[in-house]
Amino acid sequence: MLAGIEKPSVTFPAFFRVREVSGSFVVTNAQGDWVVLTAPEFKAFGEGTVERGTDLWDRLKVANLIRSEFDVPAAVARLKKRMKFLENGPNLHMLIVTLRCNETCVYCHASRADMEAVQTDMSAEVAEKSIELALGSPSPFITIEFQGGEPLVNFKVVKHAIEYGQRRALEVGKSIEFTMVSNLALMDEEKLSFLLDHKVQICTSIDGPEHLHDKQRKLIASSAFKAAVHWINRINQAYIERGLDPSLYHVEALLTTTREALSRGREIVDTYKSLGCRALHLRPIDPFGFVEKTASRVEYPREEYLKFYRDTTDYIIELNKKGEQILERYAAIFLTKILNGEDPNFLDIRSPSGAGISAIAYNYDGLVFAGDEARMMHETGDDTFLLGRVGELTYDAMMKHPTIRSLVLASNVNGRPDCVNCAYNPYCGVDGVHTYKTQGSISGRMRESTVSAVHKGIMDYLFEKIRENDPGTMEVFRRWTINRARDHFVQVPG
Amino acid sequence: MSTLMFEGFPKDLVVGDLADGSVTLTVDAAVYPLEAVYGAAYIFIDRCFVLLDRPKAGSVSVTLTDKKGAADAGALRQMAGEFANELLTQAWRQKIVEENRVLLETVTMQALAGATATPAEPSLDDLANFDFTEEAFDDPLGIAMSWEEKYKKKTPAEVAGEAPAEGAPEGKP
Ligand code: SF4
Repeated sequence: MLAGIEKPSVTFPAFFRVREVSGSFVVTNAQGDWVVLTAPEFKAFGEGTVERGTDLWDRLKVANLIRSEFDVPAAVARLKKRMKFLENGPNLHMLIVTLRCNETCVYCHASRADMEAVQTDMSAEVAEKSIELALGSPSPFITIEFQGGEPLVNFKVVKHAIEYGQRRALEVGKSIEFTMVSNLALMDEEKLSFLLDHKVQICTSIDGPEHLHDKQRKLIASSAFKAAVHWINRINQAYIERGLDPSLYHVEALLTTTREALSRGREIVDTYKSLGCRALHLRPIDPFGFVEKTASRVEYPREEYLKFYRDTTDYIIELNKKGEQILERYAAIFLTKILNGEDPNFLDIRSPSGAGISAIAYNYDGLVFAGDEARMMHETGDDTFLLGRVGELTYDAMMKHPTIRSLVLASNVNGRPDCVNCAYNPYCGVDGVHTYKTQGSISGRMRESTVSAVHKGIMDYLFEKIRENDPGTMEVFRRWTINRARDHFVQVPG
Repeated sequence: MSTLMFEGFPKDLVVGDLADGSVTLTVDAAVYPLEAVYGAAYIFIDRCFVLLDRPKAGSVSVTLTDKKGAADAGALRQMAGEFANELLTQAWRQKIVEENRVLLETVTMQALAGATATPAEPSLDDLANFDFTEEAFDDPLGIAMSWEEKYKKKTPAEVAGEAPAEGAPEGKP
């Protein structure tokens, strides 16, 4: 038995789950309180021999892990705080304004189309209908995210959607925010002025240093990296010119970790640092879009990825200790849940996941899907998560769609084998669309899931650091859990 | 017909046919509920033709035939293994969902009510009446209590009523 427990107590511990991490024991409860115990401490906890008045007793009591001291109101309050995201319907609405793209990426997630494929452009009418559906959400605040393909290819409709969305949000009394994910190569001063004037948050993709980025993201006759860097610098400069705090307002970038990236963690971090990015999400490659066809070139075993994650995050922490301000996004997401008891509402690592109830994707042709992964599956021939069509679908019918209900139920970690016993259950979540794609069912088999392996590996790493309790590292971790709102981008009515 | 056995599987329960590109698993209906068999079989329909049968009372057979008809022995073994793992997952999931019904329904209702701006019934507030400490008695890890202790907690009538079917995993401590 774990930690040499001989006679387990049925009366001392309150409900708990445990995971052994490098010789220590991470003990959590249903609400997400936790302690990290040494083997003798865990033995005493398991056998119920902890003396009242000791440090161990106090730590267990604070973590609501002693049955006789169990604080139900505190448990409910903590659970409600963690699940606050359930209160307000979908706030992320992704408009796929075109599938056309000027770049060709080895792993393309979005299932791109060539530049001639104008039939994959969203029309102004579909954009308007999509926004109307989005505004039906009870959420007082909605985000419209322009995606592609490359959204700048269909800028005419992006512009129209922004103007229309601003006006309509004002009329119905909702706050609205626009974001755009772009490779920036088609940016020009006129487009940029429009985006800045309309407070559109711009995000790009950077795969690492120039040679790696350009190898993975091909731009005909020029460097995709140079184009992106030019505009990152230009946009950051423009924010400063407009009086915005550059520590908060700057272009952030998204990384796709391919096999080649695994040996270049430090270079990737240095690249992000040099571009003024303050967040780096070490996301492993996922199975959507075109990546299946190129999997043998870009995929890798998850142990290799986790080694990369550890080494690279160690490096990021060291930089932070020297005064740099750059965070690793996975760590920030999990730490916010672990240390603050709050959910940062990252839709893919949530229980239930955000597909449908928090994020909706509107395809260029007006089809509506339970999230972007669901939409990508449509592009590869699977309409399992299709909810309907803009103009025909009402908001209420969309939210009552059996597909959404099924996804909510199936992605709840308290209904999933393995997750029900996992110490990381309160902080975790795996999207049902992802498990459907990789394992054939929306509930999935977590023991065989690469996402579960990644989540476990990352949380093992974080709890090792928490156990070490190095003051410098813990200060960095604390900073990573502070979420500074970018109010400039939020357009409030009235 | 060229019958194949697979390493690691009981030969009377898992049989392959290379010529057909198929593998047939025989499942004990007392161990796995029929819903779990349906659930596990269903995930194969994109790759396989799936046929369920009842070769004898108390058994269900599942034949997975590769749609392209080109599966080799390794691929058939992989299919059988994946089916077996999915079957266990589905069976266990069913039990978990039954046991965690309060939590799952509460969270689902709260999520859907939040998304449609209607009051949730039940809501997260109702969890104040939920006994968080009681859950420990399920002790999925077998750490907090021994089987004997768990057994002792029950009245004789409860124990008699809950005796697991012979052959079920909990039947022999
Ligand atoms: S997905 Fe994996 S890490 Fe997350 S709760 Fe489930 S078993 Fe644990």
